[in-house]
Amino acid sequence: MAIAKVQSHETTLKPRKIPFNLWRPGPLVLLLPALASIGAVSIYPVLLGLWLSFRDTTLSSPTDTFIGLGNYFQLFSDSQFWNAWIHTIQFTTASTLLETLLGLMIALVLSERFRGRGIVRAAMLVPWAIPTVVTSKMFGWLFDGQNGVINYLLRSLGLIQHNVDWYGSPDFALGTIIIADVWKTTPFMALLLLAGLQTIPDSLAEASVIDGASAWQHFWHIRLPLLTPTLLIASMFRALDAFRIFDLVYVLTGGGPADSTEVLSTFTYKHLFSALQFGYGSALSTVMFITEIVIAVAFGVFLLRKMREIGQ
Amino acid sequence: MHKTAQYSKAAPRQRTLDQDLRSDKEEISPNQKPEDSIHRRDFIKRTGLAFAGVAAASTFLPSVRRGMAAGTNPTEITFSSAKFFGKETIAEVVDAYNSSQNKIHVTYKELPPPSSSTEVHQGLVQQLARRNGDPDVFTQDIIWIAEFAAAKWALPLDEHFNAEVMKEYFPGVVQACTWQGKLTALPWFIDSGMLYYRKDLLDELGAKAPETWGELIDSAKKLISAGKAKFGFLWQAKQAEVLVCDLVSFVGSNGGSILGPDGKTVSIADDAAVEAVQLMHDLIKKDQITPEDVLSWDEEPSRGPFTGGEAAYLRNWSYVWKISQDKANSSVVDKVGVVPLPHFPNKKSAACLGGYQYGVNASSKNKEAAIEFVRWMSSPETQLRFATQIGLCPTRSAVLDDPKIAQEQPFMQQLKPVFIGAIGRPVTPKYPQVTLVLQSEVSRALTSGNVKAALQTAKDKIQAIVKT
Repeated sequence: MAIAKVQSHETTLKPRKIPFNLWRPGPLVLLLPALASIGAVSIYPVLLGLWLSFRDTTLSSPTDTFIGLGNYFQLFSDSQFWNAWIHTIQFTTASTLLETLLGLMIALVLSERFRGRGIVRAAMLVPWAIPTVVTSKMFGWLFDGQNGVINYLLRSLGLIQHNVDWYGSPDFALGTIIIADVWKTTPFMALLLLAGLQTIPDSLAEASVIDGASAWQHFWHIRLPLLTPTLLIASMFRALDAFRIFDLVYVLTGGGPADSTEVLSTFTYKHLFSALQFGYGSALSTVMFITEIVIAVAFGVFLLRKMREIGQ
Repeated sequence: MHKTAQYSKAAPRQRTLDQDLRSDKEEISPNQKPEDSIHRRDFIKRTGLAFAGVAAASTFLPSVRRGMAAGTNPTEITFSSAKFFGKETIAEVVDAYNSSQNKIHVTYKELPPPSSSTEVHQGLVQQLARRNGDPDVFTQDIIWIAEFAAAKWALPLDEHFNAEVMKEYFPGVVQACTWQGKLTALPWFIDSGMLYYRKDLLDELGAKAPETWGELIDSAKKLISAGKAKFGFLWQAKQAEVLVCDLVSFVGSNGGSILGPDGKTVSIADDAAVEAVQLMHDLIKKDQITPEDVLSWDEEPSRGPFTGGEAAYLRNWSYVWKISQDKANSSVVDKVGVVPLPHFPNKKSAACLGGYQYGVNASSKNKEAAIEFVRWMSSPETQLRFATQIGLCPTRSAVLDDPKIAQEQPFMQQLKPVFIGAIGRPVTPKYPQVTLVLQSEVSRALTSGNVKAALQTAKDKIQAIVKT
């Protein structure tokens, strides 16, 4: 039987499907290492996290029981979770929007020809190349309530009378962290958008100039529509990344004061790693995981639609 | 030329596999040389073998090494501890033990420094939860003792160290080493919160070191209005563990507590505690002797202005002393004094107890050896060594009186009254969850000023955590 099958494949030359054969497992065996490694580092942890999220288990206590959706019910009635969730959404939206806008402006400038462009392009990347913990410490000093440069400048300009306590005040702390993130990640957006701009053929620019289009018309009707897919992909990257914001908050405020900078990652970290509540913490990370998928799918659908529009 | 030789070598070995893959082979695109694919397959095969070899080697090697160790005479035990260092390291102390006798050999496994407390905790819990007896001996922050004891990871030590022996240690530490009437940790070193003050400034005022919060507030206000100090009193209110340490000393100094001794009754919303947290809030907002910046400060940011000569008072741990007396980093050398933290009228001063203590793994396979080792580590001689070499304050009050300490660490002896009044943080195996609630709600109380409501919320949440 088996031999006959192989022969029939040989005669058709283009076998569509190779049936699994216990005696000839060659191709599948070769796929196993890849499958096993993906399974081990990606599928297994996700499934294990999901499984843990249905259990009441803390590493330091002997109780380990299946409680179904118990953790999720607790989660949805936990005001601190919603507090962290809102801060995460605020942070993601504000930082993604600002970084996209600023990044677009920088990309447009850097795509023009001018003297020293190479140096400026390289220099622009510096903030992005600095480790986030270093950035955090740096902004910690810049916005220091007593000796910070920002307070000094604002005072010198007469904008404030007294020093503002940037990280100690629930009104300013999250905004200050957003500023730090925008400074750090705008270059990344600029870089992606610059790459996108360079794929737009020069001939289109020339044609529009000949047709008498103004700079604005050129940007609005030619460059922006053609840049949309890149814009969407870049902001998706950024949004997914911003949603996981951890290091800036962890170093600068630890979530305080009064939970005003608590985001989902720091909240999850506290439950998973400080309190070692594996069950509850896993429920939290599962919710984060699902939210990330929703963001990715939303961007993906939007992107496909745009691509199709452009294609037509 | 070289290439063909390689292929011809690889070809015969490849044949069987090749037959298996015949159906697969048809899919190779016409412009791809068959040699290429053979070469690649061979490569995969070889890498596979290499990986298998490495994997096998790594599984066998440790057991081989262990086997060798078992062949030699001394009992092998392991010791895991957070990293401390001074003139000596812990590894050197452990080596000294190893060379002092030949019955037990201790292998030291270093954990991160105590400033990365969360990582140390994680590392220990992961090891202990395996219950495989590794490490045999460990050191634990004073706040984890109940957690480790309740999880039955820490071996009760009562039969080896009776009450008589334990009287040689500071009572507060022994109490912190006890969980539900059983001694589950052996004291190593002690630290606690204390009040640093500027002797020179108080002398100018003609005042003595404050004993009550009222005295502290008065003198601080005078010093600020006279322009002698920029800040009156610095402490720490960042939403972090240190906030709970400060909380314990404020609440304790009014005779209040966070959790009752049973570990179930929550007393954080009682009048004494509310009054104490109200004082914390008022120091910032009403009396304004504490800058609002403390809301985002932990130990180091609050230490800076004090050793820079800008503040009259500072609450901090014993490490600040050394920095304050170092001419390179401090402008207040010889101008600093240390006393127990102030208290409310007719109440007692309360310092928050800190420090790391020894524990023996309940799953240890060499319990006798492990206990021998901690006995040595906690002995007067070793405590003296830790004090003079690494600057860790002894938990045995007799050692603290030793003339050698008077000579090398004179500051430590000033601390005796501070340590005698030191009290622990809430004792419950759920401490890691309780502290998160306290950090968040007390931070809220201090920023919003709505002390009573925040503490009531804290009480409700903590009750839900400790009742199970």
